[in-house]
Amino acid sequence: MSSIYADAKYQDVSQETKQSLFDQVKGDMRWHTTLYGCYECGICVASCPSARFYDFSPRVYAQIMAREDVSTFYELLNDSIWDCSQCFSCTRCPRQNNPGGIITIMREVAVKNGLESAKTALKAYSRIIYKVMSTGTQVSPDMLQPDFFPDWGPDVAAVSHNLNTWRRAIPPETLHTTSLAWDVSEQTQVELYLIWKMTGNLEIIENLDEGLFMILSEVMEEVLDDNGYQLDDVEVIDGV
Amino acid sequence: MAEIANCQFPEDLYYHGVNNVWARDNGDGTFTVGLTDIAQSLAGSIIHCKLTKQGKEIKKNKSLATVESGKWVGPVKSPFDGLVEEINAAVEATPTLVNKSPYKQGWVVRIRPANAAADLAEMKKGPDAIPVLKAYMEEKGMKECTHCEGFEA
Repeated sequence: MSSIYADAKYQDVSQETKQSLFDQVKGDMRWHTTLYGCYECGICVASCPSARFYDFSPRVYAQIMAREDVSTFYELLNDSIWDCSQCFSCTRCPRQNNPGGIITIMREVAVKNGLESAKTALKAYSRIIYKVMSTGTQVSPDMLQPDFFPDWGPDVAAVSHNLNTWRRAIPPETLHTTSLAWDVSEQTQVELYLIWKMTGNLEIIENLDEGLFMILSEVMEEVLDDNGYQLDDVEVIDGV
Repeated sequence: MAEIANCQFPEDLYYHGVNNVWARDNGDGTFTVGLTDIAQSLAGSIIHCKLTKQGKEIKKNKSLATVESGKWVGPVKSPFDGLVEEINAAVEATPTLVNKSPYKQGWVVRIRPANAAADLAEMKKGPDAIPVLKAYMEEKGMKECTHCEGFEA
């Protein structure tokens, strides 16, 4: 079956590859909670912020997945899934469909399989992935630089200039840091690193961004080594 | 000093086109390594620069430093197998030195390569490096270098 798109970009990709990825999405444990049948009322599209700004439609996901249109699924998997803002406004569906949830699963499949679209989409988030995986905290105060968060407005420049002072004005001492959202204990770091390794998340990063994997491994190796673990010896648990 | 689209390249240095680093022969069996003007431009204003440890045996293409800017984080990959004899603590204290003075004050480490000749064969020096650097810029869709913190020639 060919895609519904006249300008389909991935016609040369084998049907087996597309089917395998489609099956991974449908094999996800959350799949049965995402799609109950669509009568094309368009409420999901009407409520979708991404649909207002991009050539994006949550209804397409409900329709394509229900029809098992594997070719169009593959087009979406390599492009439009990254246009969704994951706000889940689409869950106001009168049939309780969850197009945003379908996209969550599709994104995870794209990431786990190291698809080029996932690499491109996540490139801009390398610093956030590094921060989450190395410290367990997400956006740290020193990340709020004017060139990275222009949408935060002109005040970002003034605040980033005196960041240390601003942070020290916050009463809890755990927040007197600019390179982390809050202080993280070494025990927490050790547990996090073991989780990333044992759940296979570190392997996924290796597939997506070799440079990021390199620096994360170094950080993890050092802390784990000090605590009696060898990163290479920690095994990935099957089936996670 | 050679120039491509506002990017500056001293002609006495070796350039590694893939790792985006330069190496200076110190004449005593050691090489100083740093980021190119292209690399500092792509990163933007650098906020953290965490260096490897002095005395570490480093493998080629492994990380000499982790560089973090507002929009990017990644490794500075070594062009040599060898021993890290000296690190530049000044760039840890003032990371924007890498932006402002990539070839002088912003150097990253000094390495004693195990087999310099073999590793240098993968690098280009002076005018020979220009086509490689140009190709890299084209591949990255880079129009010009930006000196967000000024530039010390």
